[in-house]
Amino acid sequence: MKNITLGQYIPLDSFFHRLDPRSKICAMLAILIAIFVPAGFIGYGIMAVILVRCVLLAKLQISFVVKAMKPMVMMMFFLTIINIFVIKTGNLIYTLGPITIYDDALKQTAYIVVRLALMIMTTTLLTATTKPMDMTLGIEDLLIPLEKLKVPTHDIAMMIALALRFIPTLIEEADRILKAQASRGVDFENGSLKEKISAILSLIVPMFVSCFQRADDLADAMEARGYVVGAKRVRYKQLKFGWGDYVVIIAANLILAGMIYLAIVKGS
Amino acid sequence: MPIRFEKVDFEYSPGTPFAFKALKNIDLELAMGKMTAIIGATGSGKTTLVQHLNALLLPTAGKVTVLDHEIKAGQKFTQVKELRHNVGLVFQFAEYQLFEETVLKDVCFGPMNFGVSEADAIEIARRSLLTVGIPEKSFEKSPLEMSGGQKRRVAIAGILAMKPKILVLDEPTAGLDPQGAESMMELFRKVNKNSGITVLIVTHNMEHVLQYCDDVVVMEKGELLMQTDIETFFENYEYMEKANINPPAIIRFKELLKKNGLEIASDVLDIDSLASAVARRCKK
Repeated sequence: MKNITLGQYIPLDSFFHRLDPRSKICAMLAILIAIFVPAGFIGYGIMAVILVRCVLLAKLQISFVVKAMKPMVMMMFFLTIINIFVIKTGNLIYTLGPITIYDDALKQTAYIVVRLALMIMTTTLLTATTKPMDMTLGIEDLLIPLEKLKVPTHDIAMMIALALRFIPTLIEEADRILKAQASRGVDFENGSLKEKISAILSLIVPMFVSCFQRADDLADAMEARGYVVGAKRVRYKQLKFGWGDYVVIIAANLILAGMIYLAIVKGS
Repeated sequence: MPIRFEKVDFEYSPGTPFAFKALKNIDLELAMGKMTAIIGATGSGKTTLVQHLNALLLPTAGKVTVLDHEIKAGQKFTQVKELRHNVGLVFQFAEYQLFEETVLKDVCFGPMNFGVSEADAIEIARRSLLTVGIPEKSFEKSPLEMSGGQKRRVAIAGILAMKPKILVLDEPTAGLDPQGAESMMELFRKVNKNSGITVLIVTHNMEHVLQYCDDVVVMEKGELLMQTDIETFFENYEYMEKANINPPAIIRFKELLKKNGLEIASDVLDIDSLASAVARRCKK
């Protein structure tokens, strides 16, 4: 339960940790778009080098990022298989009975795998260096233009903040109930289908009960502290742009521009 | 066949920035048939320690022996189910683990997981529920309809119904009213004395330690600080002050008497014998 790397904040002190969440989110969006520009492997190579440098600059270990990619391994595997069977263009490079592999299939797969890896690296860089609460503040600020369209941006941000706030609590709770039921002889790994269903029920029912209870208590506690839905609110923590933020946004957009340039050069 | 910890280390999330050593080089042997209190400040490793007793956590170094089960670091432990049958662990706020539609069914859940037939499980469950003081008329209620204290009793009945040889309780009285807590402790004493079940209690309540327990284990920052019987433990007043342990009222009273020149024997630990000891001294 405690080994979830994807989306986990790592409390360190680095250049990236100190950045404004807004600039990090904007830079991430630019980089994600850049990843989808068909700039060829040279482009991806350049981006990989830059991103690895960034990961190191954020004082994160490469092994941490690699661990975050683990859940994607199965997906990459299936993509490879499907691509091999579906894409039949380019040069034939291998034949084994009815199975034929063309080089376009491998190229396409490599593209997707590299893109996924770069995307995970980028998003991990954001989530590992930004406190969940700062992230929601950033999202809220970036959504402000939507307020003109009557989108309840503050409520959305509050919902995200609360959800993020309760993830560790719920993981802890699930862990505890899991252990409590294991102590009562529940085997969560082995057993027949019927036993498995009863095992899962013994976890889910108490989780639901406590979630509703927590939600109820939280609503009371918020009201007791004067929270009114839709009321105008001021903020304790003010986000501030520093020189680093401008550098990061400009750098990200330069990368995006560079990738587009590479793609155009390649295309013509 | 006691409970033995030999050079046990335990580390949470080893090899990550969150790595945290919760137990350090624990050497501990607990006698069977006794009621032992495990005390220490929050975060001192009490809960981590007791979770080793039924293999919910496996040591990262050293060896744990419980009854005839041996759990060695780095080795796969295969008798998980047998061990968990023998060691009943009641978690903090155990009331959150109830999930069946009726109280009786929930108590049957444990024994049936260990292969007891439904008819036998119901019989055992009824007896366990009566032992913990849940009246017959509540057996068919939903656990959600009951009060917090009653729910916790049901959860404890659920563990007792497994007929463990060792009962481990993690802060069983936390959040209960004083009377509820007292009767809960009475219940554990009854279980210990009548059925000969070894009882381990993690607690912050020194009055309970004094009144109900035989031995004390003190933890601090993941290390075993002291293991002794309660008489010796409560004799050492300076130590308790230094370790920030709030002594029970009767021990504080004895200390005040001593400061004012009236020393009472160390085995006088309850109010009746203290009163007669003081009276005897006054007559002299």
